[in-house]
Amino acid sequence: MTKHQKPLDPALVEAINGPAEVAKTGKRCLMNRRQFLLTSGITTFTVMVALKSGPASAKVPAVVSTYERKHIGKLSELKEDEPLDFTYPDEGAYAESMLVKLGREAGGGIGPDKDVVAFNYTCTHQGGPLQGTYKSEDKVLGPCPLHLTTFDLTRHGIFISGQAYQSLPQVLLELDGDDIYAVGMFGLIYGRYDNLKG
Amino acid sequence: MSTPYYIPETNIPLPPVDADVLSTACDYCIVACGYKIYRWPVKGGKVGGEKAEENAFGVDFPVDPLGPWVAPNQYNVVLHNGEPHHVIIIPDKDTEHVNVLGNSSIRGGALAQKVYNPQTPTRDRLKSPMVRMFGVLMPVTWDFAMEIAAEVGKHVIKKHGENAYCVKTFSYGYMENTYAITKYALNSVNTANFTFHDTPSDVTSTPGFRDAGFDNFGPSYEDWKDAETLLVCGTDPYETKTILFTDWMMPGIYNGQRTIFMVPRKTGGIAWAEKNGGMWLDIQPGTDLLVVNAIARVIVENGWEDSDWIQKWVNNKWESSSGFGQGTRNTPWQWRTTWGKFQTAGFEDWKKWLLSQDEFAPEKAAEIAQIDVQKIYTAAEWMAKPKEDGSRPKTSVMIEKGFYWSNNTGNTQAISALGIIVGAGGRPGQVIGRAGGHQRGGLRGGKYPRNKSPEKLPGRRRRAMDTDRYLMSGHTRFAHVIGNTWIQSMCGSQSLAAKFNELTVQNPHQIHSFDKQEIIDTLKRRVDSGGMVVVNQDIYLVDPIGARYADIVFPAAGWGEDTFTRANGERRIRLYPKFYDAPGEAKPDWWIIAKLATAMGYKGFDWKNSNEVLEEGSRFSRGSRKDFHMVKVVAQREGKTLHEKLAEFGTNGIQGPVLLQDDGTLVGTKRLHDTARKLPVDGPSGANRLGKKLTHFNSQTGKCNIQKSPWSLFSDYWAWLKPKDDELWVTSGRINERWQSGYDDRRRPYIVQRWPENWVEIHPDDAAARGIENGDYVMLYSDRIPVQKDTILGVEGDDFSFTKLMEHGHIELTEAAITAVAIITPAVKKGLLYMDFLHTAQPANALSGRVVDWISGNYNYKMGVGRIRKIGTSPYKTSYRSMSFARRDIA
Repeated sequence: MTKHQKPLDPALVEAINGPAEVAKTGKRCLMNRRQFLLTSGITTFTVMVALKSGPASAKVPAVVSTYERKHIGKLSELKEDEPLDFTYPDEGAYAESMLVKLGREAGGGIGPDKDVVAFNYTCTHQGGPLQGTYKSEDKVLGPCPLHLTTFDLTRHGIFISGQAYQSLPQVLLELDGDDIYAVGMFGLIYGRYDNLKG
Repeated sequence: MSTPYYIPETNIPLPPVDADVLSTACDYCIVACGYKIYRWPVKGGKVGGEKAEENAFGVDFPVDPLGPWVAPNQYNVVLHNGEPHHVIIIPDKDTEHVNVLGNSSIRGGALAQKVYNPQTPTRDRLKSPMVRMFGVLMPVTWDFAMEIAAEVGKHVIKKHGENAYCVKTFSYGYMENTYAITKYALNSVNTANFTFHDTPSDVTSTPGFRDAGFDNFGPSYEDWKDAETLLVCGTDPYETKTILFTDWMMPGIYNGQRTIFMVPRKTGGIAWAEKNGGMWLDIQPGTDLLVVNAIARVIVENGWEDSDWIQKWVNNKWESSSGFGQGTRNTPWQWRTTWGKFQTAGFEDWKKWLLSQDEFAPEKAAEIAQIDVQKIYTAAEWMAKPKEDGSRPKTSVMIEKGFYWSNNTGNTQAISALGIIVGAGGRPGQVIGRAGGHQRGGLRGGKYPRNKSPEKLPGRRRRAMDTDRYLMSGHTRFAHVIGNTWIQSMCGSQSLAAKFNELTVQNPHQIHSFDKQEIIDTLKRRVDSGGMVVVNQDIYLVDPIGARYADIVFPAAGWGEDTFTRANGERRIRLYPKFYDAPGEAKPDWWIIAKLATAMGYKGFDWKNSNEVLEEGSRFSRGSRKDFHMVKVVAQREGKTLHEKLAEFGTNGIQGPVLLQDDGTLVGTKRLHDTARKLPVDGPSGANRLGKKLTHFNSQTGKCNIQKSPWSLFSDYWAWLKPKDDELWVTSGRINERWQSGYDDRRRPYIVQRWPENWVEIHPDDAAARGIENGDYVMLYSDRIPVQKDTILGVEGDDFSFTKLMEHGHIELTEAAITAVAIITPAVKKGLLYMDFLHTAQPANALSGRVVDWISGNYNYKMGVGRIRKIGTSPYKTSYRSMSFARRDIA
């Protein structure tokens, strides 16, 4: 049980626990110790990310770590602007993530239209839940119910307006035929001190 | 991941249980959230673990929402006592005030990125004194640079007079520094050529508040939460002082507060408030006064004013005049009362005037302001219509720069009167004040010598010198610039830069020697020939004031590099301790000033540390809103230093004015003008000072002055300025991500990734008409930027009005142009362009008129016009690494 300095405002607790459909899953109950499972089959590799408009448009090593290569969906089954939920890089706290076909080319996007991206669901400010906040018109996650931060999913999850201490962690994707795999992450997940220690 | 050098980290080291923990407050905005610094040596390789008993936070990882999570931007490595140390800087989760749940903005949240680390973009911190030799700023010793500055400074004062020595300084850079600087400039040098970073002259920012009797920072943060109706003028606190919004206003709005925002640009906070029952008064620039007075008119026509409050707390005819007409009292307040334009004989007289002004009819005001007239009626109802049970809504009024930098005197007079009639001021949830910009770190070590100012208005009115116009006229021979950009932060900045260039770089007397005496002689020849020497004191080399025009540069130490003291927007005074070594030879400003003053031959600058400066200065805080003198009295009683005593208050601090109670304890002041507060009946004991502002208003009687606010004093300028043909308004403001933190933001990769350069928001209709798309490079330009020149003596009453200045040839029309990246958004009003206020490379102020408010002497920075056209495509249009063109007003 983590330490709480002072009783929280019930409105705030409700905001943290998230929209009703999220609260029902029990994954985000503020007062319960989260259960997390160690995943098996971890492999070690280097994720290469192309910085397209860089000076040399070189591939640079982004993360050298031990991320699982996880199957998270099929390209042919994705519908535009309908996020698909999954967990990554494990089943632990704050692993909830979303995969979405934006219908608009995006940084780090895969597929023929480079418009399929995936992001962690937890606000990188104070841990507010972003489930259910996808705005299709603007390709945005947010505003966070806690302090109203919004994130641009077409631009690597950079914040648009608000407080987040860093971009929303982007789940790096690979496409193998029709299969979409999560293969790594950019940015530290809220609540953790190491992405792989959840 | 989107800039060549910004790659987000995916892990951070946790602080071990025995890490040093220091309390401090944020370096940036007025709110000054409480922070904790966790520091431990790199040597030994020790880090904390994920279990509560293994780390300094005492929590298990992963942490809960709102927990002590450490984002990679909150971690750095510094030198402490010469040894590398890890530092983690996160909001204080234990603080009981300000950021109560340990919240923080993005700016303060990334404080760790501001500390000097040569492996980060902070590597360009100024590390040694420099003198420009052979056209290049060369590192030299302190003694070498100081002797040159002192010799030339002494020469300037002796030969050209004290007013030839200008000091342009920050007003907020901690009390220890501002005390030393003002003691030097105002007391020792005794120059009238002195002003602060945000104004050409040392004058009040809110003349109407001053006349009415309102302190700028009277309210407590709790009052903004407890208001049932809150009128916010010229700011969205979410976009700037965010924790004031998220931790105080948002809970208020959840509780049913009706929030009204009067500002031409809709932002995230306004959109959210609107969704939760609030209202956006989307006026066009400069028309605030009309809408405020129209709201007041609806209120008095319906008899909704707070009659009991007015009866008790508003000056009547005799009270309004009391204390005046008895010889020359050269105060701004007296000028205005003798002027006849503002003073009234009380509420009924003001009401008669209000109802007689045609432009305050709601329909007329709405037409000029370009808003739906119904909003004026709704605002009046929300602010003043009694409820069904006969009780009044608790109404408060918050103002900030979008408002008081549009029509400085008129707007602040109008809002004071509206505040008075709705009963705002002096009661819980019923207050009026500024939201604030920078923190309050001023402590006066000298009095401004107003009688030495050449600026004379009609009648007996002498006003503080306009340092920009004095420089433009060639009278300033030595410009000592401390912690501000001077040029880009003033209006019509490009013509100002041209004059700096002429007086420094283009002067034939340039240093082509390494010999100290030859350097001194050259600079003396320069000032004697009509040129100017620039000394710049800052933490970074600022372009152009330091990089191009300075002859001598002094490297300053800042936040965390010495122990300092400062107050926030509710007068909360806190200690900001030193926690790491300043880079190189950088020294705190008080030290630099003391060394220079001593070299110039002035006495009284022999402080050994910053505590000694504050202990000397504490008595000058007496009677001010941040009176902390009694803290020193108690410290001495307890055998502690003032800094040690202040440290005991931690991030909670103590709110000024601070009083010492009979039982020996210190008590702060929750709100000023607190009409319910009970003070000791037998008066102050010991060195306590029970100023009028504790329980009454800052006026001659302690009651409010209700004042007129004539549109005609401003309407000639507004009508001349407003967009013609295909011109648009060019106004500017702040954004959350870089506010009160611009000097650091260019060195924070995450912020640079978000905002790589200045930008302009443009309404979709205006963009379509000009073929402009998101991400296009645009040019904003104008050939009619009015620049007021000449220091003149006013004789006739309207000599300083815009019309007369124009007639008499004191206004010059200049050209300017700035580039920006276009962002198309319906969040800005049609006909208006909105830019970030202070980007040093692309300063929005280049297009704002350099004409001061003729009553107060302040600039109306928000008033600019220009044309806009596409010049090409920016790299951000087609790449995804940087910027975002998504709208900011998503709720």
